[in-house]
Amino acid sequence: MTRKGYLVKQKEMGRHLLGVFPAQYPKEILWAMNIVPAEIWDPPLEMTLANAHLQPTICSVVKLGLELILQGKCDILDGFLFPHTCDSIQNLASVINDYMKAEKPCYFFYHPKAPYDTASRDFYHNHLKELVSSLEKQFGPLDPDTLKQRIHQSQKVSALLTGLYDLRAEGELNITNEEFYRVVRHGEYLFPDDFIPELEVFLSRNKGQGMKGQAPVLLSGVLPNPPEILTLLDDLGVRVAHDDFLIGSRRLLVPANNLDDPFENLTESYFAMPPCSTKGSSIGERAEYLFRLVDATGAKGVIFNVVKFCEPEWFDIPNLKEELKKRGISTLSLDTDLNQGLSGQMVTRVEAFVEMIG
Amino acid sequence: MRFAGIDIGSRTIELVVLKDNEIIEMKQTDSGFDPLAQARDLLGGVKHDHIMATGYGRHLFELSFEAPTVTEIKAYAVGARFLFPEVRTILDIGGQDSKAIAVNDMGRITKFEMNDRCAAGTGKFLEIMAQTLGYNLDQFGIEALKATKEMQISSMCTVFAESEVTSLMAKGEVRQDIALGLHRSVVKRAVGMLKRVSVKGPILFAGGVAQNPCMRHLLEEALDTHILVPENPQMVGALGAALLTSEKT
Repeated sequence: MTRKGYLVKQKEMGRHLLGVFPAQYPKEILWAMNIVPAEIWDPPLEMTLANAHLQPTICSVVKLGLELILQGKCDILDGFLFPHTCDSIQNLASVINDYMKAEKPCYFFYHPKAPYDTASRDFYHNHLKELVSSLEKQFGPLDPDTLKQRIHQSQKVSALLTGLYDLRAEGELNITNEEFYRVVRHGEYLFPDDFIPELEVFLSRNKGQGMKGQAPVLLSGVLPNPPEILTLLDDLGVRVAHDDFLIGSRRLLVPANNLDDPFENLTESYFAMPPCSTKGSSIGERAEYLFRLVDATGAKGVIFNVVKFCEPEWFDIPNLKEELKKRGISTLSLDTDLNQGLSGQMVTRVEAFVEMIG
Repeated sequence: MRFAGIDIGSRTIELVVLKDNEIIEMKQTDSGFDPLAQARDLLGGVKHDHIMATGYGRHLFELSFEAPTVTEIKAYAVGARFLFPEVRTILDIGGQDSKAIAVNDMGRITKFEMNDRCAAGTGKFLEIMAQTLGYNLDQFGIEALKATKEMQISSMCTVFAESEVTSLMAKGEVRQDIALGLHRSVVKRAVGMLKRVSVKGPILFAGGVAQNPCMRHLLEEALDTHILVPENPQMVGALGAALLTSEKT
């Protein structure tokens, strides 16, 4: 079933739909309020209208999100959620809510940026509750027991995804890179009741001897788009051993110990997640995370596949590359436009990188 | 046995044939609108036992000729080392891309950089600017070296630079002075790319643009070092591919 078909069906089943912009938000709260978060990352659209509202140096995640709204493709949604991810998404929230006077309710979620202290935890905890209060006005009261159940499901999703990642890291997943991310990305809109069984079936069907051949690599960045990068790596026989994608391992929930207070539980999980440019994590933390992934997987190089004009990511990359270089780890950075395919020049760069580390 | 390497670039196609590690044949033609047909013509009557393709058209060639391929990066590194074993950095400025490659003392690539996706800083940029100034490509570098002062060209986008050049000509500026500014702008980009791969000497300048004397002069000036330029700089990629196919066999 297509993403659109699935969302229509969810609506028919009586669930609410919220269009959610990247990247960090408490999806468990939405699930508990019978809301399906439909994340908006890279809708496959031709850019025609958004350029009138945004300057050329805004990334295509933000532009395509606005394009989706301007082309009238969000009619089915009951509102939008804007997490405080970067300046561009903050500005997009202003464009949609303040300037375009969106007809649908807009919600905002502010999460603290590193370095963290006790006040950061209080801030996050309070903002979770503020988000709930604002959502309750439209969607009705949140049942704490349902929230606990949804947190449990979220942990189950993360455990299954971690299982997938681990098997892939060990070369024991008999699928292509493209197939891997197709399934991982279903989590951007599937309700956990549907995503969990899909992951379980996928895991059980695809355990087996993985791709052999060229040296394994790590991918880092926001998301694996253009998807041709994955097909190219598949064609070259290169296994992506792990990732540091914002849509990938950076959002894997770490199970928290305290289940009595679901808000405490969510808070603890948020602060335990891997470092991320959108959370203001330090270069040291991010480099350590990459080193850990390299050590665990035997990856021979890191490819930064980053959306053009993504400020949080690109600000970090020179320093991250320098840190990796000190450890003798080769890097390649690709400056990509979403849904624009790979130019011949980019193909050459990837092929040459694979030749270099092979 | 004869080993051939073919470099199918965006502007030209080069062919090199080796026998006993000696170059016995070299040919070049324009890529035209049908590079595969041009490659076929170029190969007409050329005897070879094995062939490897490189350049942007390598995969097209691979499909039709069932030949192995290698990227231009590796082909240039191998070709450069064959000609100058001491080389540690290679700059290739071709028709529509440019690259800087660092190699270690074993000839292994340690880092490389390529230009952005547009034609800025490539041979195509120089070609269009030469046309705008009314020079043929062979004259362009020679005339630029005759400049008595240098015009600053601020636009690196080929389209904007062309309109900037038109404006300067309309102001009565001397063609040679504008030409020198244009060459300088390409050199600045090339030097930036070389610095990103941690430029180390000796440096080899390859690709068609290496035939331009003004580019060679400005590069040496900017890097304050002697630059090695092979006799046929545009053949280095094809030579590398020929060497690699002989290694594989």
